[in-house]
Amino acid sequence: MSLEYAVETVNLTKVFGNFKAVDNLNLKIRKGEIFGLLGPNGAGKTTTIRMILGLIKPTKGVVRVFGIQVEKERRKVLKMTGYMPQRFSLYEDLTVEENLMLYALLYGYNRREARERVKELLEELFLEEFKDRLAGNLSGGMKQRLALAVALVHKPKLVIVDEPTAGVDPPLRRYFWKYFKDLNKRGVTIIVTTHYMDEAENCDRLALIFRGRKIAEGTPLEIKRLAFGGDIIEILLEAPSPPKLEGIEGVKKILESERYNGTVSIKVLVDDASSRLISIVKRLESNGVKVVRGSQVYVGLEDAFIKLIGEQAQ
Amino acid sequence: MILTALIYKDIKQLLRDPKTLVMVLLMPVIVLVMFVAGYGGPGGNIPIAVANLDGGTISWRLISELKRASAMGLGSFEVVKTAYTFEEAYDSVRKGEVYAAIIIPKGFTEEVFLGKETQVGIILDASYADISERVYRVLVLTMQGFQQKVTEKYGGFTFNIYRVTIYGPEVSKIDAFLGVVMSVLLHLVPMSLIAVSISRERERRTFEQLIMTPISSYDIIMGKLLAYMIVTMADTFLTLGLAVYVFKVRVVGSFLDLMVISFLILICSLSMGLLISVLSKNQLQAYQMAIFAFIPSMLFSGFIMPAELLSPKVKIISKLLPLYYFLKAFRNIQIRGWTLYDNIFDALMLIGETIVFLLTAIKLLKLRVE
Ligand SMILES: Nc1ncnc2c1ncn2[C@@H]1O[C@H](COP(=O)(O)OP(=O)(O)OP(=O)(O)O)[C@@H](O)[C@H]1O
Ligand SMILES: [Mg+2]
Repeated sequence: MSLEYAVETVNLTKVFGNFKAVDNLNLKIRKGEIFGLLGPNGAGKTTTIRMILGLIKPTKGVVRVFGIQVEKERRKVLKMTGYMPQRFSLYEDLTVEENLMLYALLYGYNRREARERVKELLEELFLEEFKDRLAGNLSGGMKQRLALAVALVHKPKLVIVDEPTAGVDPPLRRYFWKYFKDLNKRGVTIIVTTHYMDEAENCDRLALIFRGRKIAEGTPLEIKRLAFGGDIIEILLEAPSPPKLEGIEGVKKILESERYNGTVSIKVLVDDASSRLISIVKRLESNGVKVVRGSQVYVGLEDAFIKLIGEQAQ
Repeated sequence: MILTALIYKDIKQLLRDPKTLVMVLLMPVIVLVMFVAGYGGPGGNIPIAVANLDGGTISWRLISELKRASAMGLGSFEVVKTAYTFEEAYDSVRKGEVYAAIIIPKGFTEEVFLGKETQVGIILDASYADISERVYRVLVLTMQGFQQKVTEKYGGFTFNIYRVTIYGPEVSKIDAFLGVVMSVLLHLVPMSLIAVSISRERERRTFEQLIMTPISSYDIIMGKLLAYMIVTMADTFLTLGLAVYVFKVRVVGSFLDLMVISFLILICSLSMGLLISVLSKNQLQAYQMAIFAFIPSMLFSGFIMPAELLSPKVKIISKLLPLYYFLKAFRNIQIRGWTLYDNIFDALMLIGETIVFLLTAIKLLKLRVE
């Protein structure tokens, strides 16, 4: 048992009937990080989250939240954890304020404290003017804001948000992420799932899940390197034919080279673009090749994601 | 605090659901009106039987005199049956067709003319002590008036009234429905209403967020029980009040005792409904289970047919049903004028079943979303 982890899962497995939704998942989510769970539809993200929160019973495996075993002492865990489910789960026949008040009271605030906390959240999430509206009559984005407010009502140390930005417009998405970052700065650990790769870039670390199994884990950069085996640089040269690059230190593979009107464009896989780009260009120039341009090819997380999944699916 | 917050929330939700409001508040009125319409007007005439063993002129005059007599705020007598023998009259009281039977002896006309002493009999149903007493008093008064009139015309005679009291069946038609109405309104309605309460939270997924708070299954069950109790308690007061004060249904025993026993079945029905709610996966299943659970109650609790007439095997089932104890106690209080204390066993059985239902529901409610 380690105290540096906010969440630790050991061989976590969930079987529905004879279908393995989550398969021997080992996650170590550090305190104070924003951790992203990525994966295609049906990968098992929601199921994993539910097991972490004790909402469903794992078929096998153990979950610890801040070192506390969820199955044994769930109530202790709940006081420190906030959860925003994938689908709206609040009372549609209660107003925004009533929903918030209810949850504030259920988490043990007295009436006065509850009212104060609710007021605070209504302001922070711009819900003040809708506070008397029935939750069922809210728009999609408003519902997400209310759901987030409820998840945060008791100031949890760990917040788990399952696709918080699904169906949310770009300005609000940006606001949500700014809000998560602010929370995170105040020491809150955040676990988030999303299908937006630009959002995933904001995470400190990611786990990529496919068919219930973890197929990659690390920072966004590490994941991309894992997908392609390194960084990619592109060099444009003036030369009749491609020069020999093999054997130069750091070069892993020539990915492609194109001749065009006396210039050659080469894409090279290297172990680390930031250090190798300059050394390779210098090496070429010292060999008398005229280098027009050299740059790192930006690889999106999306490409990495699709590549990794494609490899697994075969 | 947690419990009050939950109760408050459930009451709000109930009151915002128009379906619930109709079911809880309008149902008693509608059901009562339907029964009253179907089973004849209350405050109507008191059905009696007359066995005219004499057949002479004076006997017929006495009968028309009786018909005119008013039964002190109970309406007048209505001779719904003419019997030809004492036994036949006795039988119709015993079967509950009439509240009383008046026996005019053979030779009545002759005895009056001759100024002899004559014996008029009355058979009373002691199940309705209150009514019997009034009927008897009306008969005495009518006879005295009749005696005066006859004496003016034909000269004096004396009479004696002898009374025979027997226990009729539990109920007679007009007042029979109150127990049935109360069974529907205090058993079926609250049970099916609350049966969907937890499955609705599951179906609408609100359960997933709710169980993220540090509440226990005790909080959820008790919160629902108390919220629904507060709302449906209106039913108890409304129905009993309407029945007794507006529709003038007879209650021989104490009104307060009726309220207490009605309250006990209400809580028991809600607890049973909660257990169903815990056991069912969705709202449809919950409704079906509630109705299914009501079927044995309808058949074996004395709802349709007195439970005493059931076969011994089925009687064992009866004794498991809360409605059996309720109907027994309710009718004893309403019709026989027993007190709650006389029905303490039934009351305790209701309380016992309530506790069993609640504990089982609390035990079985899993704070999980699978
Ligand atoms: N209660 C259940 N019973 C049976 N199968 C289930 C149950 N819950 C989830 N599953 C299955 O488990 C798999 C994983 O589902 P899960 O909801 O965890 O996926 P997800 O990664 O969250 O997907 P999405 O991105 O679409 O939300 C799916 O194939 C789903 O059908
Ligand atoms: Mg999901």
